[in-house]
Amino acid sequence: MYTIRLCGALAVAAGITLLALAGATPAADVQTSVFQNGQAGFVVSHFAYALSKDASETGACPDGMTSGYSNPGDVFVSKPELQRQEGETEDQYNRRFYGQAISDPSTKNFCLNPELGKPDPTFRTVTGKDVPAEGIDLDGQDSHIKGKVAPGTGAHDDFRGMHGERGIDNQFFRVVGCSKSFQSTGQSNTFEIEMYTGSWGILLTLKGVNDVHNAKDVEVGIYTNADPIQLSPTREALPSATYAADQDARFRATAHGRIVNGVLTTDPVDVRFHWIVNGIHLERPLRDARLHMTFTPDGGLEGILGGYTPIDEMYDLQYGFRNGKDAKGDPAPLKLRALSSIGQARVLEHTCNGAYFALKQLADGHCDAKTGVCTSISTQYRLKAIPAFVVDTATQSTNASMDKL
Amino acid sequence: MVRLFHSFRWAAACMVLCVVLFSRVSLGEEPSAQAPAGPPAEPEAMGGPPLIRRLTESQYRATIADIFGPGIPIVGRFEHGLRADGLLAVGTSQAGISSFTFKQYDASARGVAAVVVSEARRGQLVPCQPRSESGFDEACAKQFVQHYGPALFRRPLAAEETQRYVRTARAAQRRLGNFYQGLEFALAGMMVTPDFLVRIERTVPDPKRPGRLRLDAYSKATRLSYFLSNSTPDGELLRAAGAGELDTDEGLARQADRLIASPHFEAAVRAFFQDMLEFDTFGELAKDPIIYPAFNSTVALDAPEQTLRAIVGLLVTQRGDYRDLFTTRSTYLTRALGTVYKLPVATRNGWESAQFPAASGRAGILTNISFLALHSHPGRSSSTLRGKSIRQVFLCQTIPDPPNNVDFSVVQDSSNTAFPTARDRLEAHRTSPACSGCHRLMDPLGLTLENFDGLGAFRAQENGAAIDASGTLDGQDFRGGEGLGQAIHDHPRTPRCLVDKMYRSAAGRSATPEERPYVDYLNQTFQADGFRVPDLMRAIAVSRSFYAVSAPAGAITAPQRAAIQRSNGGRS
Repeated sequence: MYTIRLCGALAVAAGITLLALAGATPAADVQTSVFQNGQAGFVVSHFAYALSKDASETGACPDGMTSGYSNPGDVFVSKPELQRQEGETEDQYNRRFYGQAISDPSTKNFCLNPELGKPDPTFRTVTGKDVPAEGIDLDGQDSHIKGKVAPGTGAHDDFRGMHGERGIDNQFFRVVGCSKSFQSTGQSNTFEIEMYTGSWGILLTLKGVNDVHNAKDVEVGIYTNADPIQLSPTREALPSATYAADQDARFRATAHGRIVNGVLTTDPVDVRFHWIVNGIHLERPLRDARLHMTFTPDGGLEGILGGYTPIDEMYDLQYGFRNGKDAKGDPAPLKLRALSSIGQARVLEHTCNGAYFALKQLADGHCDAKTGVCTSISTQYRLKAIPAFVVDTATQSTNASMDKL
Repeated sequence: MVRLFHSFRWAAACMVLCVVLFSRVSLGEEPSAQAPAGPPAEPEAMGGPPLIRRLTESQYRATIADIFGPGIPIVGRFEHGLRADGLLAVGTSQAGISSFTFKQYDASARGVAAVVVSEARRGQLVPCQPRSESGFDEACAKQFVQHYGPALFRRPLAAEETQRYVRTARAAQRRLGNFYQGLEFALAGMMVTPDFLVRIERTVPDPKRPGRLRLDAYSKATRLSYFLSNSTPDGELLRAAGAGELDTDEGLARQADRLIASPHFEAAVRAFFQDMLEFDTFGELAKDPIIYPAFNSTVALDAPEQTLRAIVGLLVTQRGDYRDLFTTRSTYLTRALGTVYKLPVATRNGWESAQFPAASGRAGILTNISFLALHSHPGRSSSTLRGKSIRQVFLCQTIPDPPNNVDFSVVQDSSNTAFPTARDRLEAHRTSPACSGCHRLMDPLGLTLENFDGLGAFRAQENGAAIDASGTLDGQDFRGGEGLGQAIHDHPRTPRCLVDKMYRSAAGRSATPEERPYVDYLNQTFQADGFRVPDLMRAIAVSRSFYAVSAPAGAITAPQRAAIQRSNGGRS
């Protein structure tokens, strides 16, 4: 009850709209207690690609794992002199390699120009049979290459879910499932490092929930977090912190949803989040995104956010950083983008052109009815969210002053 | 057997001590008489001994800022003050200065002096320009010493004192070859003298009461200024002192009203409550990060500030009733605090006013994190510490420390499922006769705050068991933090305790038995004025008793006599 008055008072006094409140009211049912007046807010505390078990367990990669460029100099379109010379130490070669690559703008590389390359047969993708995958059914079909294809989607083999669910659309897993860096000990599925440093974040709001077990009309807000996530001294996300939703309309979405037997699902909506790699500001879009989440005993939510990522944007945010910007919104320095993408290809052991063409080849979303060319790839994220207060107010970012430095 | 006997005897003694101490304080501070009709009149001024009081850290900082301007860096660390009779302000008249502290004062003085005469600041802060930087300009040095001397010493400098610091400046200039460095040494020297570091109260015979003493004009000005602004007397106050205006009721009232109307008054109110609420200990507050993940340095910083803002807002800005501090739902929040209170805070990097929701169980400063977390253990709440603090801080009652042979094992094991709640554990603990006497006084109060954990976050259960937050205060039963706040609000000792502490803070000592009628007068005034703290502070500031001295006239020293003659225009 108090939150209704509080909501009104704050809205009037501060000129803000309080999107969601979680209460201090003692209640036996924690899940219910986070809702006040049918509303609740959440901050995403865990976020990662929904993939599968490691390939070594599932047999996802019968042809072996992706190994990257056999020679580092192969990342360049031409320039044979950038190959390692006989007698050259690795340290000497690295210095010459990166130095020349960066200082000479004419030195085109496949990471920033993947379209100049060609499909890489050593870039392995998931081909194993009966490999399970996380995620949800996005197209409503239990699709097979030789079977029925949902309108607007491309022919692809659906996965079985981790618990036997059918029709799981997760072509992105097919692209990265044979990359070492996407296995459980790899470095590519560690979103929380940047999220926990406050570089980016995601907020969820629910409205119209009078019963956490069943609600027909739920308004679900999916926003980029304009504030850094609040952590405990042991680096756990804190519940009941206040966050502001991003004011940029591109980073705000509202979807219609429902709760059936405690499972929240939403209709498709385009969403977009921030993403930062090496100080390069990127965007993580997801078209026709939908949530499939359940309430946790601590009053939070956990589940899947699935949708389709445009191919070029997926390549840019995961491999190439071609459209990366600096904090002011200007293009990030070419040197930084090139070094980051080339360096990542070497460290994570993939070929940029291999990744690019694999994405294109396995794309299954937003297909042209005439040509059959698909422009997006089904992508699934695993996420958890904890109760939070989400306010919709235009305030300066905590780091705004640093942007001017 | 002998050991058992001793234990029993010790336990019984403790129980008796607790009851006796509690009873003594309880009975000793009851209102001495029914309030008479009409405005209360100040009784004959009795006074107490003149004191020498060390500046507190906040007073030192405020004094430097007021004399040299804000932004003067103060290097050095201040050691903890001595808390006596519940207040650091009383401890300032009892504690000495250690060699460590003196080194810190010296470092601070050198740092301030260096900045004052620095090339960047000298044009603004040195009141004259020497004929030459490499030579010694005596007139300029004298002007410099006479400019800062009265501000630092809170009185005019004697001619010999001025000459001493001019000589210091000259000697330093000769050694170092630079006039400003000479001034730097003279200024640093002034800042490490007792005349600056401690408030030396000087007395003169009271001409209106032959045979009695009172503070001299500058000591009056100093007392008045630190009481109403927590800082050094400003130029106007020193002028009024020099002109004898503080010896008249009208002149004194004019200066008191001026100070109360100034922005500095808020600082004085904050300083008093910061002391009364023992916020000096917040810097060392530690909480187990696993048990209380929301606790961090920001919460530790914001929690006392929240309470001080609520106090200033209610008492100074709104001129509200002091007792409402225990029932008000109005407060101020930052996002860090909102995470603990589980309340939304829209303002991203700062404070916003807020209301504790009715269903939150919170009302008043006793349900603030600053009280709940400070009077808890690092890993669990403490009904005993909270109850003890309520008795001591807000009701001015004394609870002795526990005997050193108490077995705390039951109360310390908060995971014992046989005693899931603090009430269960304390009831088991109280079976010991050594403990029951004092715990009967503390626990019924503290247990009403058990809905708030050791950090101050709300909880309905402990170890899966529902928390019973019922309690009692001197026969009045109530429940929860709100009930406790109302009980403290309604308790007759609550305003009397504040009056007592306010006077202790202002005078630097507890009231003497002879001053009890004066304290009663202040209580009556406080009540008549609607328990408004600024009015209470004014009543103290303009009362004759505040400046009266109890020492006999025969104790006047020769220098004091000379000072009396000076202040009386040469007349004895």
